[in-house]
Amino acid sequence: MRDNPYLFTLLSAAATVVFIVFASAGLGGLARLIVRLARRSRREQEAAFAGYLFAAPWIVGFLIFVVLPMLASLYWSFTDFRIGRPIALVGLQNFARLIVEDRGFRGSLVNTLFLTIFGLPLQVGVALLLAVLLNQRTRGERVFRATFYLPVILGFNAAVLLCWRLILNAGNGIINQVLRAVSQALPVIGYLQRGAIYVVEIVNGFFLGLTNGNFTLMERALAEGLPAANRVPLWVQSPLWSKMSVILLIVWGCGSMMLIFLAGLTAIPRELEEAAEVDGATRWKRFWKITVPLLSPYIFYNLVVGMIATLQIFEPVYVLYRDNQPLAPSAYSLVFYLYQATFRFNEIGYGSAISWLILAIIAVVTFVQFRLQNRWVGYELH
Amino acid sequence: MRTSKFVMVVVLIGAILVACGGAATEAPPVEQAPPAEESAPPAAEEPVTIRAYIVDYTADSTDTWLEDEVVPAFQATHPNVNVEFIWGSWSTFGETVSGYFAAGEGPDIINLGSEFNGLYGDQLAPLNDKLGSGAWDEIGNFIPGTLENASWEGELRGLPIFSAPRYVFCRSDVMQAAGYTEQPTDFAGWVEFAQTATVVDPATNALTQQGFVPVDAASMADFQWYLNTVWSIGGSLYKADGVTPNFDSAEAEAAIQFNYDMKRAVYADDTVGTLPAGTGSVIEEGNGAVCLWHSGWAAPAPDSAVWTKVDIQPFTGDPTNFPNSQPVVLSFVDWWAVPAYSPNIDMTVEFLKFVFNQENNHRYNETMNLIPARADAHTGYVVENPVLQREAELAAQYSYGFAGILEPTQLQSILQTELGLYLTDQQDKATTLANIQQQYTQVLQDGGYLP
Repeated sequence: MRDNPYLFTLLSAAATVVFIVFASAGLGGLARLIVRLARRSRREQEAAFAGYLFAAPWIVGFLIFVVLPMLASLYWSFTDFRIGRPIALVGLQNFARLIVEDRGFRGSLVNTLFLTIFGLPLQVGVALLLAVLLNQRTRGERVFRATFYLPVILGFNAAVLLCWRLILNAGNGIINQVLRAVSQALPVIGYLQRGAIYVVEIVNGFFLGLTNGNFTLMERALAEGLPAANRVPLWVQSPLWSKMSVILLIVWGCGSMMLIFLAGLTAIPRELEEAAEVDGATRWKRFWKITVPLLSPYIFYNLVVGMIATLQIFEPVYVLYRDNQPLAPSAYSLVFYLYQATFRFNEIGYGSAISWLILAIIAVVTFVQFRLQNRWVGYELH
Repeated sequence: MRTSKFVMVVVLIGAILVACGGAATEAPPVEQAPPAEESAPPAAEEPVTIRAYIVDYTADSTDTWLEDEVVPAFQATHPNVNVEFIWGSWSTFGETVSGYFAAGEGPDIINLGSEFNGLYGDQLAPLNDKLGSGAWDEIGNFIPGTLENASWEGELRGLPIFSAPRYVFCRSDVMQAAGYTEQPTDFAGWVEFAQTATVVDPATNALTQQGFVPVDAASMADFQWYLNTVWSIGGSLYKADGVTPNFDSAEAEAAIQFNYDMKRAVYADDTVGTLPAGTGSVIEEGNGAVCLWHSGWAAPAPDSAVWTKVDIQPFTGDPTNFPNSQPVVLSFVDWWAVPAYSPNIDMTVEFLKFVFNQENNHRYNETMNLIPARADAHTGYVVENPVLQREAELAAQYSYGFAGILEPTQLQSILQTELGLYLTDQQDKATTLANIQQQYTQVLQDGGYLP
C-alpha cells in the first residue's frame, strides 16, 4: 500500500475523516450524557450534543496536537531522552542543570530580558507613532498602512535575511552610510550619535558581563570615553551591537501592533478631542490626556502579546546569527537555545525542560501584567 | 429524533469508511515484511520505493540530472524500484533529520555533511559487508580520506559525494603589492603578513583590504580554522586513550593564541568595521580579501578570470616552533548515508552503488564543479581546469579527514562560543581553554564516552 503513495494518502485521509466523525460523535454524546445526568430538558440535551459535535473537530485536534505533545514534553523534561539513546528518568536533574550550571542558558535568559526591556517598549512606541501618523486622513494612507504591515507578511525568509545583512554591514550598509552622511552634514547629530554609541556600548557591555561574569568590555567602553568621530555601530559584527540588530528587526515587524493601535484610535470619539481643543488644550496635551488613556486597553493588549512574543523570540535571532556562531551567544534567546538543544544536539529531554521553564517564566510575567493592569488601564469607553 | 437519525447516518458512513480503510490496511504492505527479508534482496516483481533526502546544492542542475537521468537509468535494470527525492536545504536540515531519527522512520538515504557522522553514526546502517573492500571492488577507487568521513566506528555508513578540502587561496597580485612573493610558512610569518596586507580606511574606520579571512571575515573565529591550526602543528583533539579531550595541550594553546593574533593583526581593536559587503567570493576582484582559508564553495567561480592571480597552498602549520608541523588541507565531504531504520537497505545499497559508480560520481560533481570523491572520476572538467586539478592534487597529497570527532555538534558549539569570547576580549586564554576542556569533557561524560 505504501508503495502507491496516492492510495496511501487517500486511505489516510479517509481514516482521518472516520476518526474525526467518531470522535466528534463520541464527544457530542458525552456532552449530552452529562447534561442528561444533570437532569436538564431534552432540548438542552440536544443543544449540548449539537454544540459539542460541531466544536469537536477543533477540540479533538487540540487534544491530539497540543495537549498530548505537551504531556509528552512534560514527561520528557524529567528524562535524559536523546535521539537514538534509551530513555531514563532523571528527576529534576535537567531543571537543576539549567538553573545552576548552564552558562549558555543563563546567557540566553539575560539576552531575552535585554530584548524585552529595551526592544518591546521601542516596538510598542514605534507602532503607536506609526498608527497616530497613519490615522491622519491623508492621501495614500492605505498604501502606507500596507507598506508598514508588509514586514509581518514577509516574515523572515532567506531574501529578508540577505537584505538585513546588507543593510547592517558595518562598512557599506545603508544604515551606517546614512549615519555617516548625516553626522558629517550636521555636527550636532554627529555628537548625538557618538553619545548614543557610548551609552549603547556601556549598557550592552554590562549585560554581556551579567552573562559571562566578565565586565571587560563595559570597563573598556567607559574608559575610552566618547567614541571617535568616525565610529559607527558595528551591528552584526560586535557582541556590543548584536542584540541591537535584533531589536531593529523586532521594531521592523511592528505592523500587527500598529493595526491594533489604528483600530483603537478610530474608536476614540472625535468629540472628546474637539472639546479639549475648544478648551485650549495643545495637540501634545490632547495626546497624553485623551488619546493615551483611552488607548490604554490596546496598549495593555499589545504589551501582553508583545511580551509573550519577545520572551519567545526566535526568528530574528535565527535569521541574523545562525551562520555567525561566534557572535550568537551574545544575542541568542531562550527559544534559540531551546532550538539548539533540541534540534542540533538532539537532547529532547533537556530541550523539553527548557520549554517548560520558558512557559513558567511567561506565565509569571503575564500574571504580573494582569495584576498590575488595574493601576493604569481604563475601560471607560468599552 | 432528528439528532438520533443524524448520528445513525454518521455512524453508518463511518462504518463504511472504516470497512474500506480496514480492508486496505490489511493488504500486505512492504514495510511489514519480516526482518529476515530485510537482508535478502527483494524478489524481482516486488515493488520497492526508495526515498532520499538530498540537499539541493544547485537547483535545476543536480536535481534534474538525478531525477531525469539517473533514476530512469537505474530503473532500466531495476524496473520494480521507484525512487522519490525529498529536496532539502541546510537551513532546515537539523529539525527535519532529527525528526526522522526520533521517529525511526523516514527516507532510506539522507544527505549528511562530514560533521554528522559522529552525531548520527550510531543510527546509521553498518555497510562494510555490502560496500567494504570484500563486497564491492569499486570502493578502492574512492579517496581514502573521503571514506573516513562516511564511516563511524570502523564501519562504512554510506558513500561520499565529493571532497571539499580547505585550502589557503591567496591573491598573488595583492600579495606582491604588499611585498610578498610567497605565502608565509609559519605562525609569525602569517601574523606579520596579515598585518601588512590589511588596510583600514580612516574616514570610515572600516577595512578596505583584509590580509586573511579564515571562513568568517568579521569574527575571524571559526572552529574548523582552529582545529585545522591544531592539526597542522601536530596536535590532537584527544589524549592517548583516544577519548579524553586534549585542549590543555601545548598545541591547543599555541593554536588559539595564533587565532587571536591573526584577529588582532587584522582588527587592531574591535571598533574597526568589516569589509564592505560584496558579491561572490571575498577574494574576487574588488571584494577586499587577500588570502582566504576555505573550500571551493567560498572560492571564486571556476571560470572567473581572477584564478590566474590566485595561489593555492595547504596550511603549513608552524614548523619554526612545532617540528611535527605538517601541511594540511582539511578534508570535508558530503555523503549519502543509509539510516538503520530503512526497511530497504539492500536495494538502497544497490542504488548507492549505481549513483556512485565512476561515471555518475563524475557527472554528479560536474553539476556542482566540485572534486569527486572517487579518484578515478577525476577526469574531464577536473583535469581540464588547472584550478580543480591543483586542488585535487593537494587533496590527494595533504588531505586530513574531518572525521572521528566525538559529539561533533556539541564540540562545534563549545568551540564557536569560547573562541568568540576569547577573540573579542571577553575572556582570557587560560579561561577559554579551561572552559573548552571542562565543557567537552562533560559532554563526553553525558554521551557515555567517558566515565
